[in-house]
Amino acid sequence: MIYLTNLATEMAWPITIILAWIIGELAHRWLKLPHISVYAIVGFALAPSQLGLLPQPSSYSMLILANMALGLILFESGYRINLRWLKTNPWIGVTSITETALTFGAIYFLVREFHVSLALALLLAALAMATSPATILCVINEQRSAGQVTERTLHLSVLNCVLAVFIFKIIVGLMILKTSGNIWHATYTSLTTFFISVLLGAIFGLIVPAFLRIIRSTHRDSTLALALAVIFLVLLTHTLKQSPILASLTFGLVARQRHIVLSSSQRGFGVLGSLLAMILFVFVATTLDWHRVIAGIGLGLAIIMIRYLAKIIGISCFSYVSGITHRQGFLIATAMTPISAFVILVLEQSRYLGINLVEQLAPLAAIALIIEVLGPVLTRLALLWAHEISDKEDL
Amino acid sequence: MTLAFFETSQSLTMGVELELQLISLSSFDLTAESPDILALLQRQLFPGFVHPEITKSMLEIATDIHDNYQTLLDQLLNMRDKLILAGDRLNIGVCGGGAHPFQDWSERRIFSKPRFKEVSELYGYLAKQFTVFGQHIHIGCTSGDEALFLLHAMNRYVPHFIALSASSPFVQGKDTLFNSARLNSVSAFPLSGRAPFILSWDDFRENYFTKMEHTGVIKSMKDFYWDIRPKPEFGTIELRVCDTPLSIVRATSLACYMQALCRYLLANRELCQPSEDDYLVYSYNRFQACRFGLDGTIIHPKSHEQLSLREDILMTLRKLEPHASILQSLPAIEHIHQLNHCGSDATYLREEYILRGSVEGMVDASLEKFRK
Repeated sequence: MIYLTNLATEMAWPITIILAWIIGELAHRWLKLPHISVYAIVGFALAPSQLGLLPQPSSYSMLILANMALGLILFESGYRINLRWLKTNPWIGVTSITETALTFGAIYFLVREFHVSLALALLLAALAMATSPATILCVINEQRSAGQVTERTLHLSVLNCVLAVFIFKIIVGLMILKTSGNIWHATYTSLTTFFISVLLGAIFGLIVPAFLRIIRSTHRDSTLALALAVIFLVLLTHTLKQSPILASLTFGLVARQRHIVLSSSQRGFGVLGSLLAMILFVFVATTLDWHRVIAGIGLGLAIIMIRYLAKIIGISCFSYVSGITHRQGFLIATAMTPISAFVILVLEQSRYLGINLVEQLAPLAAIALIIEVLGPVLTRLALLWAHEISDKEDL
Repeated sequence: MTLAFFETSQSLTMGVELELQLISLSSFDLTAESPDILALLQRQLFPGFVHPEITKSMLEIATDIHDNYQTLLDQLLNMRDKLILAGDRLNIGVCGGGAHPFQDWSERRIFSKPRFKEVSELYGYLAKQFTVFGQHIHIGCTSGDEALFLLHAMNRYVPHFIALSASSPFVQGKDTLFNSARLNSVSAFPLSGRAPFILSWDDFRENYFTKMEHTGVIKSMKDFYWDIRPKPEFGTIELRVCDTPLSIVRATSLACYMQALCRYLLANRELCQPSEDDYLVYSYNRFQACRFGLDGTIIHPKSHEQLSLREDILMTLRKLEPHASILQSLPAIEHIHQLNHCGSDATYLREEYILRGSVEGMVDASLEKFRK
């Protein structure tokens, strides 16, 4: 009997992953649900606080795996960003700043209406700014979509992500300053983290391609080498308590300028990428507790709606001058619904840094769950309505 | 629908169509964004014509009618500038080149227009494989008979145009060893190849086109994918073997080379009378030009002697000079001369591949060349 219980504990994760895969395939075929929505549902259902198949608490190694997965996806997101576009079409940058600022302001005032403390309201507002490039890239890769809505959603979400981490770190710094009064500690935890992570990513982005160029006489495809480099960088930044998210994103951004080849057949790092992405999206949902989801559902829904409105206004008002239609602007706002995977990992990070936000920000659990499931669906629909996914007619 | 009468055009006028690649500046792969860029271009007056092509990663531009090098060049440059400006706003790069070096044909999307959907249904994967990019040159003819004479007299020079314009050395990420791999995609179509040897327009219309129409195989001239075909509604012949060159100057020069060649052929009608037997060596010569480019060896259709393609072009250029001078297109002849000497776009692309170390770098080189 002891062996059986042991077996169940040991096999909990493999069983969960296989279940997620099977249900994901079926739901994708029958209901056209994006795979990652289903992974979230399965992860949430089997989490320790729900059905309880998975052991409590979620292990440290799973967090590391999820971080690696996120690192790979963010590297690819960065790799697909063309920074020169911001120069050739300045309206992209204007759109990004406007919509993030609007989101921040709108969420802050909304949350304050619900009598949330000043510091928490600021943190919530900063987190709500961020769009998850991970979710968006997974949907784009799964649907093989292409077009202005796809491109802009990806670019805006990466910009969002960087801005959100920046603001988030500043607010955390201010909070620490207020409680401890230690300005060095405050600056270190906030801005230093930001800049060190960016710097590490940039160094990798310069050194790795140069190294590959020197030794690459036999391999035209550097996917494996890049995957190893990303994983190394994630573990390094994690150990140094820096931000793996920013570092891998910057790595991708810089590497792209060096023209190393991430061959198109290996987009999303092939099978390795898909496997890790599964673990990521299942894992993220397992950290949620239904008590907290219920407790925060009112405010959670309100935040989602207000955030959506802010994005619609922020993006649509510049869509025509930036070269697309208002309809496309609206669809980009819709496609940018996903927030969560990113948010939760940020939270997990802060927990290790000594701030426990999950306990204090109940609405986040609700937002995370709703968005984790609905986000990919909305992104897919937006891309479909924009005619950027090939439908049957298109064969 | 019977074939229309041949509209009369002013002799030796020309028009150019260029099929261009739409490149995602994020991944350097083709991107299915022709609807987006067309919508943006519609906001302003476009200095020429711009159309969608069969897949959403292609765009076709066409000029008005011109009779000399300079005005043709100016209009093409104007159109190019507008395209680049629009592309920059949408993160889309526009470039020439006969084929994209690493695109995956199965990822292409058919542009939603009834004719394209029909073609796609009929030809299956051939339609998506047809995401290749050519330059079409129209030369005005005064009559249908003149058009058919030029069409067949031109057959001997088809390899020149293939080798000079060749810019598709890579397909699906690999070096094909061809200089123009694009034409292999065209050859797969059942109605590709050469026009039947008929020299009178009435004869062509009644004894060939009408019969073919009765068989149900074709509905209009558009169904023929010939290397050179008459375009009766424009009053032109249309040369379709050229890859889209990487630069506008080259595209203009090729058009003027053909214009001068047509003037030469009309002035030496007796000497250049075509015959059915000319076509005995046609496919072989065409293959040589596609595979080896300017280094190919062709067989003269009349004397059956072996000729180096490069030298044959050189000799032709000498004969064309007085005609080009009258047509005010000497810069074009000079450009072709240089090109014949230094190597085609295909050679340039292979060099860039080695220099930059990736197919993405090769696409970047094409983008830069188009902007120059």
